[in-house]
Amino acid sequence: MSNLNSIQYFIPELFLTAAILALIIVDLFLKRKQKSIIAYLSAAASLVAGFLAYQQFSLPATSIFQGMLVLDSFAIFFKILAAFSTVIVVFISLDKFRETAEYFILLLIVTLGMFIMPAVNDILMIIIAMEIVGLISYVLAGIHKTDLKSTEAALKYMIYGAVSTGIMAFGFSLIYGLTGHTNLYDIQMTLASGHVNSVAMFIAFMMVLAGLGYKIAMVPFHFWVPDVYEGAPTPVTAFLSVGPKAAGFALFIRFLVTIVAHPSSGAADTFVQNVDIQAPFLIAVLAVLTMTLGNFSALNQKNIKRMLGYSAIAHVGYMVMALVVFNKDAFGAIMFYMIVYLFMNFGAFWILESLSSKLGGEDIEHYKGLGYRDSFTAVSMAVFMFSLTGLPPLAGFIGKVYLFAAVIKQGWLILALLGVLNSVVSLFYYVSVVKAMFLKQDDELAPIQTSLYHKIMVLILVVPTLVLGVYWSPVIEFTTNSIGLFFGR
Amino acid sequence: MIGFYTVLLFILTGAFLVSFTVALSRFLAPTKDYPEKHIPYECGELPQGEAWIQFNNRFYIVALIFLIFDVEVIFMYPWAVVFNDMGLLAFIEMFIFIFILLVGLAYVWVKGDLDWIKPKPRLEHLAKAKGE
Repeated sequence: MSNLNSIQYFIPELFLTAAILALIIVDLFLKRKQKSIIAYLSAAASLVAGFLAYQQFSLPATSIFQGMLVLDSFAIFFKILAAFSTVIVVFISLDKFRETAEYFILLLIVTLGMFIMPAVNDILMIIIAMEIVGLISYVLAGIHKTDLKSTEAALKYMIYGAVSTGIMAFGFSLIYGLTGHTNLYDIQMTLASGHVNSVAMFIAFMMVLAGLGYKIAMVPFHFWVPDVYEGAPTPVTAFLSVGPKAAGFALFIRFLVTIVAHPSSGAADTFVQNVDIQAPFLIAVLAVLTMTLGNFSALNQKNIKRMLGYSAIAHVGYMVMALVVFNKDAFGAIMFYMIVYLFMNFGAFWILESLSSKLGGEDIEHYKGLGYRDSFTAVSMAVFMFSLTGLPPLAGFIGKVYLFAAVIKQGWLILALLGVLNSVVSLFYYVSVVKAMFLKQDDELAPIQTSLYHKIMVLILVVPTLVLGVYWSPVIEFTTNSIGLFFGR
Repeated sequence: MIGFYTVLLFILTGAFLVSFTVALSRFLAPTKDYPEKHIPYECGELPQGEAWIQFNNRFYIVALIFLIFDVEVIFMYPWAVVFNDMGLLAFIEMFIFIFILLVGLAYVWVKGDLDWIKPKPRLEHLAKAKGE
């Protein structure tokens, strides 16, 4: 489709761009006390952008801007997810960044990047989208200029990001050299027709994996995670662990079903590799490494933020595990897990953010006896922790069931077994938080008063975590409907 | 793959031309050595002190602002070339493009980054300066 005709299918992104520019201008006229208007406006902007993206859901899948981007329900699902996560993060960070209008504008720019990332259909767009999200994420991680840890986090994040993106770009140049195309569909056609050396393709795949693996925090590209998660301000950590990661998974899936594999028959339900490079086996090994390393490193963490950072690595492991089977079931399971993960992870981080100043820190030590000081928050925190573990009546359990079912159905029994064993290990460190909250009573400490805002936010996040554990069919229906992948120029 | 031979030829030609001219001047030019030749060239000035000094990081901001508008001008060249074919559409597009950059200029202007000497130094993060 030509560039001018494409604009009508690009409305959510155009709206976001206009909103970003408008907010920058509005910010210049506001006095210091009024800056929180920007926060509300940016939440509204991303809500509207998500709604506009939802409007496109029923449109027939097509490619826009001369094959640079695609418009399919798969991309739209992740756009809605991105917009939604931005809205929640705005409300999580409202208190801390009340006077920093730039922060909310930067969040909107990341959202714009996350809108483009799942919709890429060209190697160049992959790099551009990843850079939009990446560059702004570095700034967000170091938004507290005078905080030493925050600055260190930003620097480490940036150096790591620059190197891995560079390696990925080199991998793409190899793919371009092998096929002579930058369009993902053309590359798929050329690769599927044979005549491409599988060793060269394997090396290119490994190099691209460095960039994608860094974005979703997969072992062995995870080294930035603990330091960045601990050093960055808590709302930013929450955002990085959900928003850009979801977009990264969308990109990963898009990469797998185009460059690595192609639809095995007319209907795009299952996929077979273009060139036999043992991709499923490699991904399986990386998935097991990711979850094992994440879980075992989290075992003896004292800082909850750092522990959640390692647990985020473990959760990436579970999701990557489902990628070994190239079919619709697995992609649907990952999308469903992303929704569940959004609620439970944001919930845990919100409690961490709003209570850390009252409790005096973010260590497990500080949460001692919280159950007797503020039982509502403590019970909610326990729900989030159990849900992250994947215990039955909660949403995290259903998410994991779908992930494991997709893997077992295709006969990867040992992989699924290792995943379940890992979940058992993770129970230990999640429960240690719960244990500190309830079993170690400390009589001397007075009850904590929390604001109504805090309670409402906890409720908004804890209710879906509970409800999705018992009634999840509408959501799984939505994700199944969303796996409409478009292949074409 | 044929395209890559062109690149190889290009690299070889480049390497040859550079090494040829360097070698030529080496053989033809007279060589006279005197002490001034061993100090770094600083536009005729005598170099003072170390090169590894800390300098004001506002140079970076100015360089960034310069870079944005530098790149803007580069984009205007291809725009001017195709302007006749595209007509009004190209005109509008360029206005949108410049508007986006102007927002950035307005931002740095209001935030006071265009003034080399800032009117009010903001020392809110330094407890000592705040207390006095």
